[in-house]
Amino acid sequence: MGTRERRDRSDSIDRELSSSFLASAKAHLSNPESVALGAVGGYGRGELAPGSDLDLLILHDGSIDSNALNEFVNAFLYPLWSSGRAVDNSVRTRSETRDVASEDIRVALGLLDLRFVAGNKDLVSAVDEDSRESWRKNQKKYLPKLKQSLEERAERSGELAFLLEPDLKEARGGLRDITALHAIGASGVLPVALERVAPSHALLSNVRDALHELSGKSRDQLLLTEQDRVAEHMGFADADILMLEIAKAARAVDYLLDLTWHRIDQQAGQSWLSKRSRKNSPEIAKGLVLADEEIAIKSDYLISQDSEIGLRAAAAAAQRGLPISIDACIAMAENFKQLSNPWPRTAREDLVALIGGGSQMIRVFEALDQEGLIEKWIPQWSHVRFLPQRNVLHRHTVDRHMLETAVKAAALTRTVKRPDLLLVAALFHDIGKGFPAKDHSEYGEELIRPLALRIGFDQQDSDVLALMVREHLLLSEVATRRDLDDPATIKLVVDKVKDPDALQLLHALSIADGQATGRTAWSDWKATLVKTLVDRCLAAMSGTKPVAQPDLIPTKSLNGDLSVTISQGDGIYEIDVVSRDQVGLLSIVAGVLSISRLEVRAARTKTTEDIAVFRWTVALDPNATLPSEEKLLELIRKGIHGELDLGRKIDERIDNYRRYPGIPTPPPVVSVMNDIATSATVIEVRMHDRPGVLYSVAKAISRNGVDIRAAIVSTLGAEAFDTLYVTDVQGNALSEGQARLLANQVENLLNTYL
Amino acid sequence: MKLITAILKPFKLDDVKNALQAFGITGMTVSEASGFGRQGGHTEVYRGAEYTVDLVPKVRLEVLVDSKEADAVIDVIVKAASTGSIGDGKVWSSPVDAIVRVRTGERGTDAI
Repeated sequence: MGTRERRDRSDSIDRELSSSFLASAKAHLSNPESVALGAVGGYGRGELAPGSDLDLLILHDGSIDSNALNEFVNAFLYPLWSSGRAVDNSVRTRSETRDVASEDIRVALGLLDLRFVAGNKDLVSAVDEDSRESWRKNQKKYLPKLKQSLEERAERSGELAFLLEPDLKEARGGLRDITALHAIGASGVLPVALERVAPSHALLSNVRDALHELSGKSRDQLLLTEQDRVAEHMGFADADILMLEIAKAARAVDYLLDLTWHRIDQQAGQSWLSKRSRKNSPEIAKGLVLADEEIAIKSDYLISQDSEIGLRAAAAAAQRGLPISIDACIAMAENFKQLSNPWPRTAREDLVALIGGGSQMIRVFEALDQEGLIEKWIPQWSHVRFLPQRNVLHRHTVDRHMLETAVKAAALTRTVKRPDLLLVAALFHDIGKGFPAKDHSEYGEELIRPLALRIGFDQQDSDVLALMVREHLLLSEVATRRDLDDPATIKLVVDKVKDPDALQLLHALSIADGQATGRTAWSDWKATLVKTLVDRCLAAMSGTKPVAQPDLIPTKSLNGDLSVTISQGDGIYEIDVVSRDQVGLLSIVAGVLSISRLEVRAARTKTTEDIAVFRWTVALDPNATLPSEEKLLELIRKGIHGELDLGRKIDERIDNYRRYPGIPTPPPVVSVMNDIATSATVIEVRMHDRPGVLYSVAKAISRNGVDIRAAIVSTLGAEAFDTLYVTDVQGNALSEGQARLLANQVENLLNTYL
Repeated sequence: MKLITAILKPFKLDDVKNALQAFGITGMTVSEASGFGRQGGHTEVYRGAEYTVDLVPKVRLEVLVDSKEADAVIDVIVKAASTGSIGDGKVWSSPVDAIVRVRTGERGTDAI
């Protein structure tokens, strides 16, 4: 097992084939010099694994009549076939080879490894030169095809580093990708640092040899049942260590391949490889620009003084479905500055926005992980990195399973009131795995509590996260193993979870976890059982409870009819607005903040008698300057007097926002219920955040002659969750019909903006 | 030889499995199933809205046994699976002509 053995194996086959080829030529052809035998593919590279196919190219000069050629080829191949060897062969002239290679990229790739075995050496050399020249000359045609075929294969076979039963050859980061790297190098488009993947190449080849030898088969998938034997054969302490080494090797290959495509793209300037392209944009977030379809660091930006740049870049990339440039990742790792403890609010929100980015998030996360940033932010991650799990239900390593769970959770954010907690719990629900002496759910709870506080969640949120991690298997287990008709079963869950909001979070987490695990772990059958359990528990908790109305007292007495106060927080501003109440006031103030490029992160508003108090928490767009209190006052006043075309200005902002790429997100959801405690109707809006959300919602409501008495607005990562308490002009809750109609109108309006 | 098939409430699976193992049955096949019997599905009320559940989740359990043991095994399953309420499921047996253990090639009752 090793390079030498592989070489010896292929040398010995060379000798065997050479003699039978020459003997057949002599026996059947008038001119034995008119044919040659070449080895292509893995055999051509001299890398034969014990069970590998022999890829052969039989070349002839075109002078032989077809009967004689047939007889000769059969005489050569039949004994090979009879011996049971797997042979892949083609019989061609030089020009036929050229034609086929120009049509079929697999043939073109295989020919790059063409090696002379027997017969007329000049024939092989000529074809070899043809193929290399054509590969170099037609790189613009071949490379995009190569990239596409690699992507399709990765889609089919998954990623070597994260699969529990990976295909060593076909999976992303596997042997075929190494061959692709060599092919890119041979195209001359740019130098490829192949020495960086030489150790990976050796390890993966050795594992494949061991697998073929031990299993006696040519299969390249390393099944769980084979892993112990292969590990022992190769001298690893156990299969987990073998799998960890394989994962590291695959990541190195994957990373170099990514880097290589990226450089090719860059070199091509705009690119024949990617569909869209864009020149450097203005700052999309502090210190970050969009360059060549990637999130990059603004030139001259002092990374070492900004502890939050990494998470900000991650959030921006994940939410736009773009990668972070590799140069930016490297620079951020080299100039790393640790976040304060607890993290600032903005960093926490960026983490949530990263996790909520859906499937695009995985690549962003991996890039940061490859540069060691994830472990620096979240030291607990080290233990689960590439951690295999011995479980027939699972497909992925622990870290990738948690990422996949987060991807599934991102599609479920509309089903819960706290999408941020759902996403964070999804990313860390199995963080307690890998400590055999401990129950992973219980140990996970121990780990998540301090982690949640460090990330900047308050005690209450950290308790909810702890509950979610501890009980993430509860619903599935109870639903499939306990009698759902028995009130004791419902009581068991209600006693543990207590709160309907937490139960909905746990439900969404169960679904995401199940879906991410695989079809064997999550079926419609199981989903029905879990849903029945949750519905019955919610009924037992007597429905969900609306958030309590905010309690706000004017911070200062109202001089005149309007006052604005701005105070600075940590990269974030608090703006208090106190005003005489006015129809449509909330939409006007929200609109003024939006056109002043202040992004609302949170707000609480309340109207008592005729005084409306608004407390806004806002972040300033990096391309804007902070407006003065006087300026805001003037704009709000103009808005009230109808002298400001807010609608048009906000439409412009939305158009501008749409110019940048985005990611698919679940549609907005608007729900209504009557709150008995406050005799108001509660409207809840859950949607992906974008400029002017609150303005649009508040305007649609006011337009119906409905009064907004109070509002609680939160932006949780990239998700907006707004709760509005509304009444009719007499101060009564809306009728059910009115409320539903209003909810539909708001929902339609938000949908048309998407 | 008989094939005993049981349709059970999912939460009763563990009890039935344990009872069968205690009886000496070492192998069985379990699959997810859904359906309805005399109960005809049922109606759930949640948050004021009523909806009908047509197909109720069940598990299907299959065991191959010697004909002599069939009745006793059915009794074990019924006893363990019973809650006394509607929707407890059904158990039936069907004759089996041949059984082969794939690994060894054993046939008939030896393969059970």
